[in-house]
Amino acid sequence: MARTKGYPEALEKKLADTRLYEDERHPEFTRTVEKISMSIPHMCYQCGTCTASCPSAPRSSYRIRKFMRRALLGLEEEALTDPDLWLCTTCYSCTDRCPRDIAPTDVIMAMRNLAAQRDIVPVNFLKTVQAIYSTGHGVPNNDVNRAARKKLGLPADPPTTHGFPKYVKGIQSIIDHFGLKARADRIVKEREG
Amino acid sequence: MHEYAFFLGCIAPNRYPGAESASYKTAEKLGIKLLDLEGASCCPAPGAFGSIDLNIWYAMAARNLVLAEQMKKDIALICNGCYKSIWEVNHKLKKHKELREGVNEVLKEIDMEFKGTIDVWHLAELFYDPNIVGLDKIRDSVKVPLTGTRIAVHYGCHLMKPKKERHFGSTEQPWWIEEMVAALGAEPVDYRNKMLCCGAGGGVRGYDLVHSIDITNEKMINLKEAKADALTEVCPFCQLQFDRGQIEIEEKFGVHWGLPVLHYCELLGLAQGMSPQELALDLHAVSCEPFLQKVL
Repeated sequence: MARTKGYPEALEKKLADTRLYEDERHPEFTRTVEKISMSIPHMCYQCGTCTASCPSAPRSSYRIRKFMRRALLGLEEEALTDPDLWLCTTCYSCTDRCPRDIAPTDVIMAMRNLAAQRDIVPVNFLKTVQAIYSTGHGVPNNDVNRAARKKLGLPADPPTTHGFPKYVKGIQSIIDHFGLKARADRIVKEREG
Repeated sequence: MHEYAFFLGCIAPNRYPGAESASYKTAEKLGIKLLDLEGASCCPAPGAFGSIDLNIWYAMAARNLVLAEQMKKDIALICNGCYKSIWEVNHKLKKHKELREGVNEVLKEIDMEFKGTIDVWHLAELFYDPNIVGLDKIRDSVKVPLTGTRIAVHYGCHLMKPKKERHFGSTEQPWWIEEMVAALGAEPVDYRNKMLCCGAGGGVRGYDLVHSIDITNEKMINLKEAKADALTEVCPFCQLQFDRGQIEIEEKFGVHWGLPVLHYCELLGLAQGMSPQELALDLHAVSCEPFLQKVL
């Protein structure tokens, strides 16, 4: 099975060893994930309905069931350093089918939040943040589109933050409140120079 | 006339303005007036923002909600991604006091407060709701029936899922958008694994494009099998993934599909007599010509 992303070396080694070590378990990780996700991964009985419903599973090594096990056992390091964490399309098929009424999608989102706190986050996510910070839009307008809008009788810029840029300041305050713009800039620069 | 604050999002106004234009015009013919929601921003993208920090996602979406609260209007929108952010954050903040207080703490800095006084709707559900529009009114508004065409529906994920938190019932084999397609005179077609994701969500399109369009390609295989003339959806992000995705599939996998992809509002616009120019269908990456030839 071809992997879509290379694993970090330490994780590769860890995965080759299937034994469970008590000192790698962090019960507070389980509790934090449950709090952020507002879900109950400790109820998971590993039936695999989630992985069977997952659009990413057939084309990668991403296994949502594995992440549910990591959440339950508190295997923080293994969960947060696995690049497969970012292959969930958040389609919620697993959530709708889970016989234990868990929301695996929200568990993944919680783990992504915790990974991001440690600066483990793909650059494309941060670039969306940067775009929204400067224009209010994740997918901003462009000249081709402006011309097309005018032809349709629409204003060249929509009546959003594009048409009323004074509103961008409010958005920047919210993002700055969490210090996210500075973090995004720093991480993008570290990765891309 | 029902009035709603129209939350535009990003991809409709900035990539498929025909879908935006069609929404105003088709809704107006069905008794819904869509008002400008001045100063609205990105919803923000639930995959990108939610993955980094849910608290920022709540606060940013709440800012958009407060703008509509100040207008004293419910929000209507045409994108499933926006629905996920705007509907769900509204729902969560109304339900969880602790969350609401946390968000208001942030909003205080920009003199805003989330009060929870409005509701959020997808334009498609308003069209389907007999108390607002309903199938009969849609049928009556049709000037150019789409007779003789086979149209498949992509529901997308974030409108109806997770079903426990939504109000649409089962998400395994829904048929209500197909009913709206049939109301335009077209023949709705079923296909294998209809509820499969388009592949774009959760930041995956930006993270791993090949992985993402491989999911789209699976959908295209299933759509081909059903002999659909066109695909309709209610989410501009899905639209982008299917439309531009087909070009990317051709580049990366060497497979040509050529399946026209239209937002339901664009399809409704055609049926109500709007011209392809009025819908800016030329901005679509995949030509809609073969479909238009069958219709017009």
